[in-house]
Amino acid sequence: MDTLVAEGLRISLTSYLLIFGVLAVFYALIKLLWKMPPPREGS
Amino acid sequence: MADWRVWVMFVVGLTLIWLAVRKKYEPNLLLPMGFGCLLANIPQSSAVGGGFLDILFKAGIANELFPILIFVGVGAMIDFGPLLQDPEMLFFGAAAQLGIFLTMMLALVVGRLPGVEGITGLREAAAIGIIGAADGPTSIYVAARFAPGLIGPITVAAYSYMALVPIIQPPVVRLLTTRDERMIRMRNPEHEVSRAVRIIFPIAVTLIAGVLAPMSVALVGSLMFGNLLRESGVTERLSATAQNELTSLVTMVLGITIGSTMQGERFLNLTTLLILSMGLIAFILDTAAGVLFAKLMNLFRKQKINPMIGACGISAFPMSARVIQRMAQQEDGSNFIIMHAVGANVAGQIGSIIAGGLILALVR
Repeated sequence: MDTLVAEGLRISLTSYLLIFGVLAVFYALIKLLWKMPPPREGS
Repeated sequence: MADWRVWVMFVVGLTLIWLAVRKKYEPNLLLPMGFGCLLANIPQSSAVGGGFLDILFKAGIANELFPILIFVGVGAMIDFGPLLQDPEMLFFGAAAQLGIFLTMMLALVVGRLPGVEGITGLREAAAIGIIGAADGPTSIYVAARFAPGLIGPITVAAYSYMALVPIIQPPVVRLLTTRDERMIRMRNPEHEVSRAVRIIFPIAVTLIAGVLAPMSVALVGSLMFGNLLRESGVTERLSATAQNELTSLVTMVLGITIGSTMQGERFLNLTTLLILSMGLIAFILDTAAGVLFAKLMNLFRKQKINPMIGACGISAFPMSARVIQRMAQQEDGSNFIIMHAVGANVAGQIGSIIAGGLILALVR
């Protein structure tokens, strides 16, 4: 495997895992937002 | 007598216009693109070579402004409610980006074949791979930076396959699922989403993306800005303008300008043909990855997910969600999975722009 393909593979794997990581943080964010108290009547 | 390539490009331009008018495939974009293609290929056309189409290219595509403005409009159109009700769908938006990276690797290999020009390294391969984001503005944004010479075929591939999602996805989904799996019913999410959550979400996502993947901020930020205009409830006029006038105006100039990059001597070659083929492969791989990821999740879950929903993670919003709902109803007329499908679909929108930002950050 030459350098360019190896570099491409490294970037692909890193990016794919990072997408999961970033979206997992958004998942945690939404779960956190669920815990927000509901708005008061009339607010 | 004009070069043969001029005549071929006239046919290509007229075909794009025909697809828009007759088949209604992405007409707002394909019609201006087709006409731009005609304008650019008329011998000695004053529209290019320093003409108004070149000016538009420099003003809005070379500096990536037009795709960003489109994202403001897209953000204003998106309702994140289904995703906020069922955040697990986010993971399909991640899984279904696999096609981007597999296609990028494929492009690296294909670029070495004899007769292939213009795919010389990682930047061009990444610009081709990003067709798999199934998101036109992201494709244009990355291609403008990494491979401006390939922006024509990349854009044509991205938008054409988005329009062809109803034809591309069903056979892949059927191949990878059983009838029983396609009939799985999904429990409707019960969680209510308050206005405050809808307002906080776009702001928080922008800030988090800024910390985790700063190169994605232009894309994520413009999408979330549009969404904040929609959800704030106090900027109805701005939201309506972003959804209608802004999106229409920018789509029009974007389309005609992209069309002008399809000049015969640059467009008609083996590389274009390969880019169109690899774009199709990217969409197929994305769909397969989403479905297979859902099946993987089902191995560990008591409450099974209909694996077709994984296919909606490819972005292509809202076409993909509609296609999957239609497929579910073909198997069982009373099965409604549309809310989950839309959730996965908007997750795909977020996943694709994060993918674009990461590629811009990591590829040198």
